[in-house]
Amino acid sequence: MMDRIDRELLRLTQDGIGIEERPFLHAATALGIGEEEVVARLQRLRQNGVVRRFGTRINPRKADFPANAMVVWSVPRDRIADIGAAMAESPDVTHCYERRTIPGRWEYNLYTVLHCRDREDALRRVAALSRATGAAEYRVLFSTEEFKQRPGGRIGPAAGPERGQ
Amino acid sequence: MHLDPRDRALLQQVQDDFPLDPRPYRVLGEVLGMPEREVMERLTDLSRRGVIRHIAPILEPGSLGISASTLVAMRVPKERMHEVAAIVNEYDGVSHNYRRDGDYNLWFTVAAAGEGELLDTLDEIIRRSMIPFRDVLNLPIARRFKLDVRFRFLAEEDDDGQD
Repeated sequence: MMDRIDRELLRLTQDGIGIEERPFLHAATALGIGEEEVVARLQRLRQNGVVRRFGTRINPRKADFPANAMVVWSVPRDRIADIGAAMAESPDVTHCYERRTIPGRWEYNLYTVLHCRDREDALRRVAALSRATGAAEYRVLFSTEEFKQRPGGRIGPAAGPERGQ
Repeated sequence: MHLDPRDRALLQQVQDDFPLDPRPYRVLGEVLGMPEREVMERLTDLSRRGVIRHIAPILEPGSLGISASTLVAMRVPKERMHEVAAIVNEYDGVSHNYRRDGDYNLWFTVAAAGEGELLDTLDEIIRRSMIPFRDVLNLPIARRFKLDVRFRFLAEEDDDGQD
């Protein structure tokens, strides 16, 4: 799915391209290929899903979405597929996962994250999700401090000595 | 943080449909009816103000051989919060780490190539943090319904009028 040049290209761009007229020139020069090929490779990587999307990573706190609400829901097992799919449809929801429970200690099985303008706005949107899906048992856990936030997928620091592919 | 209407239109377009083109900012300008120079000046300013972290490819962890991932919650005594958060942050597999409301007050995600490596990392974090197991929740993903961190920069304006 990825050759060595693809990996190097992602490694060179994953921390951000420049804001300049020809932002792919740097990677192209480093890789000894043309900018057209850089762009074509990124398009292909986006098509085959290695690149989920290409664009801005926003800091929600500084972009008018300072309230980060993780909502933990406890929903009936036989309804989780429907409720999870319905919540995923909502543009308010950026993350929606089913997670394993810890019986007797932690029964929440569905997790959503919403980024909102303030807590009130978040609570209103969460209440709307609850009404729309019938999921009534939940807790809203607002973040109060961000210690780390970076992409889940990264190419390691060194491509290492030439290893064929 | 003040975002004017042209910032908002630009942020929306850059987020939703960044042109993979050798001159992407010129193409963005054509779509938005803005000179390339203005596109670059506004994006530079938004980066400087911290609104934009990066313009970059967002990679799918599964495609990079990261197949195991979990969310961990800990009950951390208030006075130890920063010390424990710093230990957690040391690990490359940790991508998100937040303090949150509630009795479980530290929440972080850990990912690794496989289940074994993931559990080893988690064990080490817990041991070094000196948080007892009864104060830790390990909540592995069973199913992903959605992961799409995008925002509505334009719609928010309209919502304002209705409340």
